[in-house]
Order: sequence, then C-alpha cells, then structure tokens
Amino acid sequence: MVRAIKGVLVECDPSIKAIILDIDSKTHDFIVENLDESHLIIKDSRVAELKRILEERLNEHTKVDSLEEEEEEEDD
Amino acid sequence: MSSQAMKGFEQLEGLPEAIFKRLYQQPATSLAIFRRMLPNLAKTFVMAMLFNPDPIPISTLEGWVHPDKNSLKEEAFAKLRQLHLVTERQGTFALDATFKTELTKALTGGGSPGSFGLPCDTDDKNKVDISFLDKYATEQWESILHFMVGNEVPSSRRPSEGVVRLLLHGKLMEQTRASSEAVITQLGFSFLLQEANAQVWTLLLLYLDMAEQLRMDPVDILHFLFLLGSLELGQDYDMKSLTPTQKGMLEDLRDYGIVYQRKSSSRRFYPTRLATALTSEIRATSSPSRSIQNAISHGDENGFLIVETNYRMYAYTNSPLQIAVLNLFARLISRFPNLVTARITRESIRQAIGKGITAEQIIDYMTVNAHPQLRKNTPVLPPTVVDQIRLWQIEGERMKATPGYLFKEFSTNSEFNAVCRYANDLGVLVWADQNKGNLFVSKHEQIADFIRKRAQPNR
Repeated sequence: MVRAIKGVLVECDPSIKAIILDIDSKTHDFIVENLDESHLIIKDSRVAELKRILEERLNEHTKVDSLEEEEEEEDD
Repeated sequence: MSSQAMKGFEQLEGLPEAIFKRLYQQPATSLAIFRRMLPNLAKTFVMAMLFNPDPIPISTLEGWVHPDKNSLKEEAFAKLRQLHLVTERQGTFALDATFKTELTKALTGGGSPGSFGLPCDTDDKNKVDISFLDKYATEQWESILHFMVGNEVPSSRRPSEGVVRLLLHGKLMEQTRASSEAVITQLGFSFLLQEANAQVWTLLLLYLDMAEQLRMDPVDILHFLFLLGSLELGQDYDMKSLTPTQKGMLEDLRDYGIVYQRKSSSRRFYPTRLATALTSEIRATSSPSRSIQNAISHGDENGFLIVETNYRMYAYTNSPLQIAVLNLFARLISRFPNLVTARITRESIRQAIGKGITAEQIIDYMTVNAHPQLRKNTPVLPPTVVDQIRLWQIEGERMKATPGYLFKEFSTNSEFNAVCRYANDLGVLVWADQNKGNLFVSKHEQIADFIRKRAQPNR
C-alpha cells in the first residue's frame, strides 16, 4: 500500500547532510526520513530553525572571508 | 516577473468548489478567469467545448496534442479540473453549465446590462481625465509604500486605518511592543521589490482573506475585483449596479488608489490604471505591468539607476522611497541633491537575502529601473554583476528545501513507474529514487486521485 508523508524535501551535499544529521542527533525532532546521501525529509515546522542553526555553524568558517573584503574596500 | 503575480492566483485555485460555482455566475468573472487563470492549451479546449452542446470525448481533445507535449496536455487538464470548469463522465468532458452560459454571454454580448459595469448616463460636472487618475493612483499607492519603509509622509497622505490594518494582517508590517508605530517585516521587504501588478494583487488577496473574517462574502468581493479588470480607464461608472458589500469595498479600494471617487457620497466612481490592469494577460505582453510600473514610478518613464561593472551604483533620484529600497540591497556611500551613490557588496546582498529578498527580485528591480543610458546595452545590466549576485545567493543555499509530499512503499515497480511518469507530466515531480521506490511531489491531490483510480480500474 502506498503511503504519503507531508514534509520538506531537503537536497544538499553529503558534507552538509552530515552537519544536519549531527544537529538532529541532539534533539531528534528535525528529520522525518533519511532518503539517501544527499536527500532528507524534514518536518515542515522545523525547516526555518534548521536553516538558522546550519547558517550559524557554517558562518564559523566564513568569518575570514568577510574580513578580507573589508580590507579591499579601503582602497576605494 | 509575471511569476510573482501568478503566485497570487495559485492561492485562488485552492478555493472550495461551491465558491467557484458561484463565481461563474457573472460573465465578467468567467471571462477574467478564462483570460487570466488558464494556460493557452486549456483555453483552446474551452473554446472547443463552449459552443458544442454535447460533451466531448477526452480522446478527441488528446488528439490535438502532439504526443511529445504530454506535460502541456496534463497541465491543461489539471487546471480545468482544479477550477471545476469541466465535469468528467465516461471518458468525456463537459464544460460547467453556468460557466458555459456566462462565458458565451461575455463573448457574444447579451446578459443583463451592467454586468461589465454600468457607465454613468449623465455627464460628470467634475469630470477627471486619465492623467489625473494616473496621478491619483500613483499618490495613493506610493503613500502606502512610503508608509511601509517608514518615511515621513504628510498627514494628509498617511494611509488610512484600514490600510494599516491590512498591512498588519498580512504581516507586511508588525507592531513592536516598545512603540505603537508599525514597522516593516521581512515579508514586507520582499513585497516592496515585487512588480506593481503583483503588489496590487498581493494586497487584494490579503483584503479577501481579511474580509472573510469580517464575514463579507468572498464571492461578492472577487466578482467586483474581476469586474474592475474589465472596466475602461477614464470612464465613470454608476454605483447602482453594485451590491452593498461592493459599495462598502469602494471605500477601501479608494484608499489603495484602485478606484477614484470625488466624495464618498458620490454615486459615480472611476477605475484607475491599477484596476484596469488587474486581469490583463501579463504572460502574453509585458505592457500592462509596464504601464502600472510607469504609473506608480513618479509619473516619469525614465529609469534612474546606473550600475557599473565595478559594482558601483549611481541612482539619479531624491525620492526617499527609492533610496530606502536601494538601501535594502546596496551599501549607500554618499548622497547629493539629485544623486545617490552606492556599492553592491557581498555583505549587502547577503543581508538582503537574509531578509527574504531573492537575487531575482533584486535583478528585476535594477532592470526595471535602469537608466535609459544603461538600457542601450544588451543585456541591460553588466553580466558580471548579475552573475555575482546570483552566486552570492547560491553561496548561502547549502541546502535546497522544497515543501511537498513523499510517496513510498509502492506495491509494484510498474505502479511506481506509472505514478512517476504521471507526476512528471503534471510537472509536480521534484525527486524520485527508482531503487528504493521513493517519490517526492510538490502537490499531492491529483497524484492521490491517480493512484486511487489505478487501484480500481473498473470504475
């Protein structure tokens, strides 16, 4: 019998997926279905929250870039 | 750009069947739905059925479509079913009887007088011309936009209570606890960057939503909105043919600049350009949306933005509204009496995207408002800048999220394949995994129908 599940399909790189799995492992309330290495189903209501946490984690690594940009702007 | 306006109509498609049946009771509404909500192939099917007394076999209609264009055919059929325009019986299609009569009336003439608005039979002593109406619509509409970005507006041009309530209701603005003043929200920012026609529809659909809570009849409201779209600019119309609900609406529509009345006690009203372009077929031609754009962009048709390949931007404007909008996605550097210089940076674009504005909206805005000098170039904007803005957007999209429904645990492989193909034809298939038999679609109603029909092939 076919089953239908409401949710949000998330497509991402395996590396990003690893981070999402890690975020989920603490509370277990984001992921509905783990489809394959680059696809997941996430709960409707939790997507915004997940994006926020993900952005936070990723920004820890991109701070360096924005510093460089500011230096460049002093030239003009 | 038209896709933004179309989004509004998708919201309408979700209305219950009973509402549609009542909507079709007016020729103006039937015509507007035919013009604005159907894809071209669906229009062809409707025309085939319109003057035919008998139902038409579906196979006949299918014969008109090249086998390669199956997805177009399914899209057309799906739209017709969704709008409850056709009834399906034993492999035939018949047009909804009410719709059929009313659309025939609209196309061939007939029906009661005033079904496309009742022009006033007496001359208006204070007649107004088209340029006055354009100016009026611009002022009213811009005062709403100015109010949203928090500019000081003269109290005479401050939007009315009703408008503010609508903006709050639609979450385009919100009241902070600290002060009673409303401030713009993320949703409001992306609203500001939409093209004018889409903005008008967004507000009107919000109005519809709010009106239902006030127990106004949504059918009455929609009838009036679709009627407005078929009125003639510069003509005065009599209020006599309107229902009480619609008379009440006039006051609100006046606040938005969609209709003009000299006094609220006046018995005549003029539609403005914002009204008459409501149901224009914007996919076929960009001129209606362009004309509103002109009507609300300070009356002059010239763009004011120059974008250089080095990400610098020069805006020849002194309008606080335009400057506030630029500030959404660019870093302002200096301001002169008639010129603002700004710079597009990664930070400024990332901030805009954080507020829910998309790269496409920014690019559209810059293209629409490009200075004539810049328009001589093809493409209008420097490709490096456009590409970079898109890249900055993708950079943040480490994950792509699509809301919808997962179908799984199909009993056989062939069933999975059939559903997969059907979903693809409908254009709702987002992702499928053949090996595990997983399928993700953006809309589920028709897929569920399809699976049910397959399960009991005899009926």
